[in-house]
Order: sequence, then structure tokens, then C-alpha cells
Amino acid sequence: MRSTTGFVLLLMVTLAACDLSREVEIDLPEYTPQPVVECYLEPGQPFRLLLTRSFAFFDPFGLDTAFLENTLLQGAAVSIRYNGTSTMLTNTLSGAYANGKVYNYASPDTVPDTPGITFELDIVLPDGKQISGTTTMLPKVRWDSIVVQRNPDDTLVYRVLSYMTDDLATSNYYRRVMSINRTDTIPEQDFLVTDALNETGLFVFGTGYQLKFKYRVYNTLVHLPKEYHDFLESIQLALAGSENPFQQPSPIKSNVSGSANPIGIFTCLVYDLDSTTVR
Amino acid sequence: MEKVGRGKKFSHLCSKFVLKAFLALFCAVFFNLIRISVSLYTMLPSLLRWFARTLIIVGCSFAGATAQTCLLSGRLTDADSREPLAGASVYCPVDNTLAITDDKGGFSLLLNARYDSVIVVFNQPGYHSLQRAVRADTQDVYLEVALENTGHAIQEVVVEANNLYREKLSSTQTSLSTLTALEAKALPALLGEVDIIKTLQLKPGIIPGPEGTTGLFVRGGSSDQNLVLLDGATVYNANHLFGFFSTFNADAIDQVSVYKGGFPAHFGGRLSAVLDVGSRTGDLEDFSVSGGLGLISSRLTLEGPLQKGKHSFLVSGRRTYADVITRTINHLNRNVADYNPIPDYYFYDLNAGLHFTLSPKDRLTVSSYLGKDDFHFVDDNFDFDFDWGNTASTARWRHLFNDQWSSDLSVVYSRYQYNIENRLDGFFFRAGSTVQDAGIRAAMLHLPHPRRSIRFGLDATNRRFDVARLNAGSNDGQIRFSSGQRFEGTELAVHATEERQISARWRLSTGLRASAWLYAGDAFFGLEPRLSTSYSLHPVWTLKASYVRMYQYAHLLAGTGLSLPTDLWYPGTSGLRPQISDQFTAGVVHVFQEHYLFTWEAWYKKMQNQIDLIDGADLYRTPDLESQLTIGQGYAFSPMELEFEKKNGRLTGWVGYTLAWVRRGDFPDVNGGRYYAPRYDARHNASVVAMYRQSKRWQFTGTFVYTSGYAAWLPEGRFTFSDIPGVPAQPVVPVYGDRNTFRYPAYWRLDLGVIRKFKTRKGAEHDLTFSLYNATGRRNPYFIYLDPGYETVLIAEQPVKVPTSIQAKQVSLFPALPSVTWNFKF
Repeated sequence: MRSTTGFVLLLMVTLAACDLSREVEIDLPEYTPQPVVECYLEPGQPFRLLLTRSFAFFDPFGLDTAFLENTLLQGAAVSIRYNGTSTMLTNTLSGAYANGKVYNYASPDTVPDTPGITFELDIVLPDGKQISGTTTMLPKVRWDSIVVQRNPDDTLVYRVLSYMTDDLATSNYYRRVMSINRTDTIPEQDFLVTDALNETGLFVFGTGYQLKFKYRVYNTLVHLPKEYHDFLESIQLALAGSENPFQQPSPIKSNVSGSANPIGIFTCLVYDLDSTTVR
Repeated sequence: MEKVGRGKKFSHLCSKFVLKAFLALFCAVFFNLIRISVSLYTMLPSLLRWFARTLIIVGCSFAGATAQTCLLSGRLTDADSREPLAGASVYCPVDNTLAITDDKGGFSLLLNARYDSVIVVFNQPGYHSLQRAVRADTQDVYLEVALENTGHAIQEVVVEANNLYREKLSSTQTSLSTLTALEAKALPALLGEVDIIKTLQLKPGIIPGPEGTTGLFVRGGSSDQNLVLLDGATVYNANHLFGFFSTFNADAIDQVSVYKGGFPAHFGGRLSAVLDVGSRTGDLEDFSVSGGLGLISSRLTLEGPLQKGKHSFLVSGRRTYADVITRTINHLNRNVADYNPIPDYYFYDLNAGLHFTLSPKDRLTVSSYLGKDDFHFVDDNFDFDFDWGNTASTARWRHLFNDQWSSDLSVVYSRYQYNIENRLDGFFFRAGSTVQDAGIRAAMLHLPHPRRSIRFGLDATNRRFDVARLNAGSNDGQIRFSSGQRFEGTELAVHATEERQISARWRLSTGLRASAWLYAGDAFFGLEPRLSTSYSLHPVWTLKASYVRMYQYAHLLAGTGLSLPTDLWYPGTSGLRPQISDQFTAGVVHVFQEHYLFTWEAWYKKMQNQIDLIDGADLYRTPDLESQLTIGQGYAFSPMELEFEKKNGRLTGWVGYTLAWVRRGDFPDVNGGRYYAPRYDARHNASVVAMYRQSKRWQFTGTFVYTSGYAAWLPEGRFTFSDIPGVPAQPVVPVYGDRNTFRYPAYWRLDLGVIRKFKTRKGAEHDLTFSLYNATGRRNPYFIYLDPGYETVLIAEQPVKVPTSIQAKQVSLFPALPSVTWNFKF
């Protein structure tokens, strides 16, 4: 797929140069906006949830604060139940705008760090329609080791190999994110893996010989429930399908449902983050 | 005299050299075929062995019988210049058989030798027609015939319409289009690269794939539902360069017949179409070298007699040469810092064939094809190889027992394979798939009466699939990933067809094919009735109708409807039942003003057990591939598939039009089970093809094609995806609703071509072929994507990148593209 995408990118650049790409007016089918849920329960962090709405594809965007006002879905009653208790998330804007991590529902309670615990989400929208979802916290999977290797042919460049061990007795899904020097830009690597084809239980993720002395490498390993993996994969396919004629698109695979016909993800966020300096 | 002597010596030396090379090549091919035959013989059930023994016994018993059928072959030339006359008709009115001369003027015709002699009529526009009496006894006949020019510029010659169109009027066969390599070569082509499959796209009932590609969507079927046969061997992926060129080198091809419906019972295994591609056989009389230089590839063909008039050879090759240029550029820039090397890419085809006339009653042909695409890329992070290709070989023995019985026995082998490999320091990744056939086809033809024929036979194919084979890990073995499945089974079929002329006006063809797929203890059976009939209302009006049922036991798992080298062939299993189609066709054939053939057909096709990928299917990272598939139904119909055709005169060509609907649905995991239009559902499809031969030197050609908008799956909505800390948000994530609710703008294109022929004093021929693809420069849609525009704004005093606009952008692939190709022959 990587080669196909590269081919398509090269093709598009070439075609643009030949004036073979042009703007056209098209009519898309009628679309009814849907509520969009994003809730990542991170152990030790407050309960936070982002509730927004989707738009018809060609609906105009609002700028400045109008963008948030248009996007955020306010006035809903949000609660999360776990271990026989329930926490209400109030309609409060929080988070860091700069990296786009904004939440409009939050609770002062913190998410317990208990693998195996199940959380249930209930949302009642101002129009009475409902959204619900369930997720179970997975155990954290840690990096075994991060190895820096110098190129034997060029001693000025290095690569980093990140090793982890998987439990082959269960089906596991992971997301590996790797950034260089800073974490607020597009990651160098961000992909999903499963252990379905692994025969030894050992995984390694690596860079090419592209790193220089004193580079800082951030390695994140997220242990995903299957429904979160499927949701992320469907987003990747939806994005690729709209740009690449060789890629079949996918509808968004959500794990939230209800009379409000929502899309989105309600999941626990369990990850191991390592930062290594190349030396 | 001396010159002639040297020429002969040179020709003789060439023949000897080529003969030696080919003997070596074909020893290998024969060895493989024999090995396959032996393994097949031990593998096949007792029925097949019985059939093979019976065939041998029947062959022996008939060998002593008196044969009264002969093969008439020969060459037609211009009486003055001795140039070969291509495209002329050779017609035997008594037997109602017709042949068209090839580009060397060659022809062959099987004559029924009940008569002491028969009249054969030779016709070519611009020449006086000629009748010759041929004594058709037990010996084959070879004729050198020269036609007198009418004396001035080529004029229309009134040819009896029945000569050329009699077959169409009298036959029960419906839905058949035939195209010769000569026609394909005359028409303008993308980048000058003649492609007989792309020319087929201009026939009615066939929806072309995306711009510039060789995709064929026949009567509502997907591209994998076409059986592509090269001399009887299946070609599983008949494409180069992601489908932009087909694997068929026009220099090595004689003609292609595409059956869109009314399939004869000896064809089976696919639902929608049979593309029967026949290779050329080498010239039995003269040694020749021909070829061409084009923008992206060059071609060379050698052919000639091994024993004059009896045995011949042909070898033809084609190769692209972009990689030669890119390698040079990469080499020149090897010391430039931050230079990104250009990947290497090339493809080649090699066709080879031998033809032996073993006796007046026995003909043996052996043909072989090898084609490959190779993509290679190396930089600091990658050492990447991606290659794919087909191999196909056929050995075919035709034997004439007597005037009533003949046999046709073929041993075939074909293989399609792709491999992807990437190597990193200490780690590797390999992936690939293979599908391989080894089989035999045996058929007997019985002509008990001039108005009755019977054909029956057996096909047996051992098929192996290596599906989604993947190996990856570290060189020390500590890390290891693998997947892939291997399947091996046998597809069997017995078939019989009787064609009978019930009355002077009415013909009926009744056939039955009983097929089976045997795999891992499972057996799937199918009974496939084939019925077709014709009724002559008037000497120039014929009504036709047909019904066929088809079974397909091998399935292509492809998500986009485009043909990619990485698409997987997968066998029928207990979870994947055979695909089935039922097609009804009715139509009329009319010849008017003696030059024009009009065909109208209406058809309805129902398809069962159709396969689609579930949304988000991943065929490589799952050990259970069938979990990624879903099964549904489909149907297609057309009230109007029209074709006007003119085959003779200075101006030849055709006009085609199709009005059709295609739907798929009942897939539990796709589109909520609702029916939807597949990508290749185009309501209107029209084409105009014109070839005008102004003189012996100049020929002008043009094609026009119109297709109403293809169905497309575009997003209806969008949302902003925040994602987790450390990963930037996605401001615009598309939301896809029901499949293919959008229609692209209509596609139309005009291509023009000019051919200028030359002849040297020494008799060598060459020509310059000019093509102007997309002459009007129309920007046809290849795909449409939605492109958001962004601005950085301050929100709560912090800069945030937000989307501000979305534009739909249409990408077109080809502007007006001129090309020139030089072709030669000596």
C-alpha cells in the first residue's frame, strides 16, 4: 500500500504540473449531521470527553470561535459508570487548544488504573436522543528495550530499534507512534499492528539510518481494544479512499451507538511512552 | 543470381540459428508439458483415463479410414507488385466457409471434400475478384493466388454481402465480437502502443475500465469474471503497469474473439465473458524480421519456415526501456547530496510458437508466453523489489480422422505470480501470491451430416493457489511473521454440443456442460445448459436467441474494481460457493446494402454468490481470509446493444451503442444489504471506429468513445477527529454513506491516426504510424478527490490550524498525446 500511495502522490504532482487537476463543482447526496464522540480514558487522568457534530461535506467552516461553536455539541448529559459507581461529566471546555486536544465534557474524578475494569458511557442529548458505549481497560504493554545502532557504512547516522514482547495467548492490537525531537508535529511513524501473524511473540519497530547525534526519539506503544483498532483503521481507510483511486474507502466503524445515530470511539488509553536520545 | 544466393544463405543461417535456439527453448517447454501430463494422468480420476484411452483407441481405429477432407492454405498477392494482400476474403460457397487473409496474405480453410472440386472465391477491394476451382481430395492444397488490380485508385468493389456476413446470418452464435490484430494496429493508440484489448473496449456491451487501462467490464460482470485464454491457456492477470497496457503484443497475436453471451459449451469457468486470444503461427514460406520502435517500448519478431510449407517458427518480443534512462539519470546523480533515486521499472513480453504439419491429417502447434513487470527501488531505507508476471504454454494436436471425425487435444500450463521483497539491515519482508494451472483439453468433432455437427469433450485442470504468502522478520529468526494459505484442487468438465439445421430457416444449438471443482474432500458440481437458436426471416434478416448458465470456481478478491497486480485469486471452498450466472439474450441480425451489418441484442443476466470485500477488509494481516469476504447477488440488463459494422471497402469500421443497468446487493456486510450500482455501471456507452484507406500508402483512422458517468463512492459528510495526545488532529475525516451514489461526469474522447507506408527498392516495408490520443484535449475524469484548505487562526490566544474551505478536484490523466511509431519488416 505504501508503494501504491507513493505512486499516487507522484502521479498527482505530475498531473498538477500538467494542469490535469482542476476544481469542479459536484453535488453530493443529502447528509444528516451526526453526533461525534471521542472519549479516551487514560489511567490517572480526569474523565474527559469531546462531543462534536459532523457536517455535510461542503458545509462552510466557521472561523475563530465560530469554528468551535459550530463544531461542539453542548448541553448534553454525560455520565460514565464503572465498578458500581457513576461519574457525571459537566459541560466545561478544557484542554490545550494548540495541539487540538479540546474536551467539552469533564469530571474532576480520575480514571482508575485497573486493567480488566469495564466502563459504560451514557449520553442524553438536548433533543432527548441517546448515545451509549462500553469499553474494558487493557493491561499496559511496555517496551522491552530501545536500541540505538550506528550505521556501519556511515558513522554519522543512526537508527533506533524498539522491541516489545506480545502475549500470543490472546489477540492483541497495538498502535505504534514515533516522533523525532518534538511530539506536537506529525509523527514520523504512526501505524497499527496486530499479533495475528506473529510466530515468536517478539516485535521490533525501527527507523532507517536517518537519525543524527543527539536526536531525541519518542516511542509510544498503545495497547488497543479491537474496536478502537477497527475505528482507527476505518479512519485511515476513509482518508486514503478520498485521495487514492486504488484504495477502497470505508465507513467509520464506531463502538458507540444509540438513537442519536452517533459515530465515534469510547475507549481506554493505555500506553507506554519512551524517550531516547541518540548517542 | 549471386544476390539471391547470398540472401538464401543468410536466410538459411538465420533459420539454423533460430532453430537451434528454439529447439533448446522448446525442449524445456516440452519437458514441462510432458511432466505435467504424466502427473495429470496419475492424478485424474478414472473417467479421464478412460476418455484418454478411448481417444487413443478411436484415433487408431480411424487412422486407417479414408480421409476425404483437405486443408486449403496459401497466399494471396497483388499480381503486379507481388505484395501480400491482407484482409481479403477467401470464400467457399459450397461449404459455406470463409477465411480472411492475414498481414502476409496467408489464409487457410478446411474444405469438406465430398466433391471432386469446389469453387473458391477471392475478393479484395480494389481488385478484380477471382474464382478458382480447387480439387479437394485427400491431399492438402497450397495455392499461390494473385489478384489483378482494377487499374486505378482503389475502388469500391461490390462484394456479395453474404460472403462476409453469411456466418453472422446463419450461425446460432449470439454476442460474439471478433477483432484482428491488423484492425488493432490500424487504430490510434495511447503512446503508440497498440493494444488489442483496449480496441475491444470499443465494442458494444463492453464498458472500459478507468482511463487508459485495459479493464473490460462485460455485460455487468466484473473484470475477474472474464476468462482470458491465450491459445487455450488461462492468463490470470493480462496487464502491465497497473493495467495501462495488456500482456498481448499485437505482433504475436492473430486475433481475439470475445464472447459476451451465448457461450459454447466448451467454454466455462467464468461468468461474464471469454476472451479467446489466438497467437500467430510463423510464415511457412519466407523468413522475415519485423518490429517497431515506439515511445515506450520496442518490438522485434522473427518468423519463418523450418521446412518450407510444413513447419514454421515465430518468436516475438517487446520490452520497455524507461529504466535504461532512469538508471542513467540515477548514475549521473549518484554523488548529488539529498538526491532521491528514480525507481527502476520495465516490463517485457516474449511469445514463441512452433507449427508442425506432421502429416496431411495432423497438425501440432506449441506456443509459449512469458511476461513480467519489474519494479525496483533502492535508497537509504529501502531495497525494494516488486515483480509480477504470467507464464502460459500450450501444446495442441489436431487430427483429422476422416470427413466426419476430427479431434483436438491440448495440454496447457499457466502461472501468474507476484513477489514483493524489501530488505533492511538485519530484517526482511517478503509477500506474494501464485495461481497455477496444468491441464488437458480433449474434444472430438463429428460431422455426420452437412446440417448437423456434434462436439464433445473433456477439460481437466489441476489448479494450485498460494494465497497472500507473507514472511517477515529478523535475519536471526528471533522475530518472525508469516501467513498464507495453499490450496490445490481439480476443475473438471465434460461438455457436448449438437448444432442442427432443423429447417431451411431454423437452426438450433443444444449444449450441456457438467463441471466440478474438487478440493480437500469437498466437491462442487454444476450443470450448465447452453442453448442458442437462429431463425432466418429473410435472406438478410435473422432472429437469434440464447440462454446460458455459467459456473465460476476461482475468484478474484479485489476491492476497488481496478485490476492490480496484488489482487488475489482464491478457490471455491465450503465458505465460498461457486459463482453462478444465467444469461438470456435475444436479438436480430440484418445485412443491408450488401456492405453493412446491423446487430441488435437485448440481454438479462442474473448472478448468484457474488463476492465482495467487507468494509475495511485486510487480506494480508489476517490468517482467516474468508472472514474478510461477504456474499451477495447481482443482476444486469440491457434492452439495447446495437452495432453497425462495415467490413469491406475503403471505409471500414463500426458504430456501437449500449444502454444498460447493473446492480449488486444482498451483501450482509456491505451497504446494509441494499443494492447498489457498481463502479462500472454506465448507462450509455457509444463508440465510433473508422478506418479509411486512401491509397496503398496512406491510411487514416479515428475512434470516438462516449461513456456516461461511472458510479463513484464519495463521502457525504465530514467530522473533526481530535485523536490522542502526541498525534495531531485530523480536521476533515470523510464520512461515507451508501456506496456509489455519485456519478462522475461523462467520459468522451476522440483519437486520430495516420499511417504512411513505405517500401524500399529492395522490397523491405516500413511505415510511420502517427497517433493523436485525446485529440480534443478533453479533461476526462480519472478520479475526483476532496481537498480541504487550511488557515492558522488564533483561538483563545493560541494558534490553531483550522479548515476553511473544501474543494472538489478532478484529476485527469491524459491531455492530447501525440505519438509516432516506426514499424518495419524485411
